[in-house]
Amino acid sequence: MAPLLEIRDARRTFLTPEGGRLAALDGVSLSVEANEFVTLLGPSGCGKTTLLRAISGFEALDSGTMVLDGADLSALPPFRRPVNTVFQSYALFGHMTVARNVGYALEVAGVAKSQREVQVAEVLEKVGLAGLGARRPGQLSGGQRQRVALARSIIAKPRLLLLDEPLSALDRNLRQQMQLELKSLQHALGIAFIFVTHDQEEALTMSDWIVVMRAGKIEQIGTPREIYRQPKNRFVAEFIGETNLFPVTVDRVEGGDALARTADGVELRLPVLGRKAGEQVTAILRPADFTLGPTGIPGRVSRAVYLGSDLYLFVQPQAGGPEIRVIARDNQDAREGSAVHLSHDPARVHVLEAG
Amino acid sequence: MRNPYGWAALTVFSLGFFLFIYAPLFVIIGYSFNSNPVNMMIWEHFTFDWYTGLFGLSDRETGVGNRAAYVESTDQMLAALRTSLTVAVFTTTISTVIGTATAIALARFKFRLRGFYNGFLMLPMMMPDIVLGIGLLIFFVTVGMNLSMLTIIIGHCTFLTSYVFIIVQARIAGLDPALEEASADLGASEWVTLRKVLLPQLAPGIMGGALLAFVISMDDLVITYFVSGTGDTTLPIFIFGMIRRGVKPEINAIATLIILASVVIAALGLWLRSRKTD
Ligand SMILES: Nc1ncnc2c1ncn2[C@@H]1O[C@H](COP(=O)(O)OP(=O)(O)O)[C@@H](O)[C@H]1O
Ligand SMILES: [Mg+2]
Repeated sequence: MAPLLEIRDARRTFLTPEGGRLAALDGVSLSVEANEFVTLLGPSGCGKTTLLRAISGFEALDSGTMVLDGADLSALPPFRRPVNTVFQSYALFGHMTVARNVGYALEVAGVAKSQREVQVAEVLEKVGLAGLGARRPGQLSGGQRQRVALARSIIAKPRLLLLDEPLSALDRNLRQQMQLELKSLQHALGIAFIFVTHDQEEALTMSDWIVVMRAGKIEQIGTPREIYRQPKNRFVAEFIGETNLFPVTVDRVEGGDALARTADGVELRLPVLGRKAGEQVTAILRPADFTLGPTGIPGRVSRAVYLGSDLYLFVQPQAGGPEIRVIARDNQDAREGSAVHLSHDPARVHVLEAG
Repeated sequence: MRNPYGWAALTVFSLGFFLFIYAPLFVIIGYSFNSNPVNMMIWEHFTFDWYTGLFGLSDRETGVGNRAAYVESTDQMLAALRTSLTVAVFTTTISTVIGTATAIALARFKFRLRGFYNGFLMLPMMMPDIVLGIGLLIFFVTVGMNLSMLTIIIGHCTFLTSYVFIIVQARIAGLDPALEEASADLGASEWVTLRKVLLPQLAPGIMGGALLAFVISMDDLVITYFVSGTGDTTLPIFIFGMIRRGVKPEINAIATLIILASVVIAALGLWLRSRKTD
């Protein structure tokens, strides 16, 4: 079956005020299946909004194709595209009631008033705003406005919903709650979501697929686990979560593991598959991949941060080199200054070819 | 913290300032109830005669003996008021439509010479009235138009369009462009977006501009003086002509009514502006 949305080699260049050219989209290809939750993740300015606006029709592409449900999108003006958007600023109509805001797509499509009212009530219920239809957006809290924007964009049952950093204005608790709600709403509605964020935690929690972007290009597409455990390059590895990067030279293959060493002499065990003695690679280990024990890399705790059930440790290896970040259970006897050994499971090490 | 002397000085100063601004108005309001037909500065007794006279309800018109001193009749004064209102209504309508349309076009469409238009729309506001008046007069004479109510309306529209334009433009500049995008995103064509989102969002600015245009049109003397013919006289010109021969007491009553109307219009404008739209 053909994907719901298929973008091929999308390019968009802006002229900068200085007279230069800036490729906001530099050959982006992406396909989205029906009912998927896809997140565009990347640092500010990497082209996420531009890509979203190209799909909704507010930004034209210089070249490339976009096909939605078998129809070429480039020929359609924004108001004819079966795509709806949740805007970062919410963009609620302040002169209309909440109910009229929510029913706007139906009103414009010519749906009869009585029928509209039924659907509006239904959607308001779905987003947890039942009974607030008579209010004005100005009389709502930030979280409630967010829900109105959401309700308004799903009432016409689009095939695809675009969300541009919709949670960035909410405080942390509300945000985490909305993350879960959005995810279950997406599931219940059966609408594909393309969700933009620069927050990697948000991306990991919500997505079926994460698309990591940098400077107008896609760096990697994968499930949250793939992106986290098997980043394709240093950029992805460092952008997603806390990471320890070790540029190492493979020493020898011994039993089931490959032994490797940093320039400073820190020893690591890598998965043996495909390793040859003498090659240079980068080994990636997440803080939680280390355990404190009687054997392993010897070092000294230079800083310990209490996280509740866990301890976040900065360990200076005895051999030298950068500190290693470790998350350990709080029941271990590690405090600042204590000598520790860090061991790890070779299978948890992700190897980037060519250091 | 507070210096009591400074506080007292500030109070006195602000009272004095308000007195300075409003005393002339209160004097006129006071005079409008003075029954002395000859010298309004000498209080006789309280009367509504000048008001009832305005509406033809009283035949006491400035005293029979003094009648010859006044050339103008009350009817002429009311005719002038009618002319002013007619001019103001047409001018307000025309300049509000053109000013609003221009502001939207300049803010939302990209075309050549946009900056040039912007600058030129400001110009009539900054040009001295006298220059604009002479220019209009010369223009009308050159193209062979007879001076009439029509030329007054055209003259007023030339500069009031700029006022409306600037007020509406300020409102558009403060508008989130995402509102119109959201409307389009939800399936509304440009026309529907204009009707259902853009115009309602601009309504306070448009109303504000229209009220200002109305008030300025009612009030304008200099430009109107140049472009009005002998037939059609507006109220400001009528009053101006009258003052040179001595002021009829009815003028105080008219002035008081105009003050009242202005206060109502200004209050309406403030109320419209204060209505939150977001
Ligand atoms: N209309 C525009 N004119 C010029 N440059 C733009 C325009 N829109 C976006 N850009 C530039 O394109 C790049 C990508 O922008 P954007 O897609 O908004 O990034 P993101 O949403 O990932 O933060 C940025 O460097 C931005 O400055
Ligand atoms: Mg953005």
